[in-house]
Amino acid sequence: MAKGGGGAMIGQVFSWLTDPAHWRDTALDTGITTQLLAHVRFSLIALGIASAIALPLGLFIGHTRRGTFLVAGANALRALPSVGLLVLLTVMIAPHFHGRTDIGYVIPTEIVLVLLAIPPILSNTYAGVDTVDPAVTDAARGMGMRGRQVLFDVELPCSLPLILSGLRSATLQVIATATIASFVPLGGLGRFIYDGLQQQDYPQMIGGGVLVAALAVTADLLLALLQRVTVSRGISGRFATKGDAPAGPIEGAITRVEVEAG
Amino acid sequence: MKHKILAGAAAAALALTLTACGGSSSDSSSGGTIASSFIFGGPAEFKTRTDGIPGLAEHYGVSFGKYTVTDTGGPVTVNALKQGQIDAADLFTTDPSIESNGFVILTDPKANFAAQNVLPIINKDKATDGVKTTLNAISAKLDTAGLGALMVKVVSEKQDPDAVAKAWLADQGLDATGSSASGVKLTVGSANFPENVLLAQIYAEALKAQGADIKLKLNIGSREKYVPALKDGSVDLMPEYNGSILQYLDAKATATEPQDVFDALQKALPSNLIVLDQAEAQDSDAIVVTKETAEKYGLKSIADLAKKK
Repeated sequence: MAKGGGGAMIGQVFSWLTDPAHWRDTALDTGITTQLLAHVRFSLIALGIASAIALPLGLFIGHTRRGTFLVAGANALRALPSVGLLVLLTVMIAPHFHGRTDIGYVIPTEIVLVLLAIPPILSNTYAGVDTVDPAVTDAARGMGMRGRQVLFDVELPCSLPLILSGLRSATLQVIATATIASFVPLGGLGRFIYDGLQQQDYPQMIGGGVLVAALAVTADLLLALLQRVTVSRGISGRFATKGDAPAGPIEGAITRVEVEAG
Repeated sequence: MKHKILAGAAAAALALTLTACGGSSSDSSSGGTIASSFIFGGPAEFKTRTDGIPGLAEHYGVSFGKYTVTDTGGPVTVNALKQGQIDAADLFTTDPSIESNGFVILTDPKANFAAQNVLPIINKDKATDGVKTTLNAISAKLDTAGLGALMVKVVSEKQDPDAVAKAWLADQGLDATGSSASGVKLTVGSANFPENVLLAQIYAEALKAQGADIKLKLNIGSREKYVPALKDGSVDLMPEYNGSILQYLDAKATATEPQDVFDALQKALPSNLIVLDQAEAQDSDAIVVTKETAEKYGLKSIADLAKKK
């Protein structure tokens, strides 16, 4: 049993994490590898669906400046109590699925996670497009670019830092919240936190928490890398030599527009 | 140029999602016993505790093919059993959903599950003779069938636990007012499930009628939360189950018969707490299957699960 000071506990958590038996599946226990994959799976499905909804919607709202009330409405979703909604949806949905399937539990979980992921993606996409300097879009139109070209060649690249930061905060939230999948009989890293508490196996509980944190940090680093690769250097102001740097991001964007148009 | 990178990133994300979705669970049935083809559902602690999976293996040679963590005898377990996501489940004997869904309780001839008699656990300083007499009178009248009937009222018929408690005390002739507990200030607590709340209300109402000054702290949570509260005196009285509290206080306890459990409990209790007489009423774990499963495999007792298919 977990007795002793914090140092002893850290050691126990470390040995729980490094015990190969905890990474493998047995008839009784599902190992870390499987639960990690399940956790990634829940998170990716939720982020994929949320992006498919929120990205086009945010671009549309930002570009046309119509329907901004949707952004405010989506932000209200952030106040939803996730566990309460999950239990409610499970009670409503799960009794419709018979036999050896967990789809009756996956659907409620994904709905909760998607609702959680939409607000940051939507509001950041909208804000990103909305705050592109009018001088830049005017210049693009002045050169004869059409609405669609302005959106995808000018507004989208210029707002990419904000869009990606929305995606990053959505990813963090989804990975952290996907732990609630273990409230309904699903896997994921939340299983260790929940089971550890019930079994009074605190190294397991903390180990699960450490794994969730590690996954969230890794995902954030990957997205930071994506951001570094995709965002135009004219926007980020990141140039090989300092002497080349333009006066500001807007000029950089204009330079880019000129280059692409020409 | 940028579009290509973006499109590539999107395609990679999509591919990753699809591969992740593809990794579905595979069916693992081996061993050849009935249990080895079953998925068992229950709380996480049932996997590790002595009378849980290890006890079933030791007493009956039963080992299940897979274990799905559901909840502690709650709606998730009941739904999963009903819908066939699991084949056998750990539920509680007084659970009204067993009867309403036609579930079959498998008998436990080798007493794998410890006795779970209801009994009051109380702060030594607050257990005056009057309080003891009042609570012991309740325990003398409380049996499993009676408690089950009260649970139908609370859970299925959604009646107010306090009203059900009062009505039961009146039925049993335990509602006489008096002053045998006057001057005692008690905080009565309960765990966060309906039966425990009901029992706490029964204790509280009876003591109130005897002049005690009662404060209620219902739905405190699990033992991790309320046992410390009992130790530090912020809660004085709780309804408990002798087997579970013994297991919580002493994980190595082996007693299963009611009297043995009661005796072992005396030694395991923290110094400021005592338990009073235990009731005949038990709310113990039970291995439960659906009626169809019981008929299909001819299951009556837990031992039948170890038979060859």
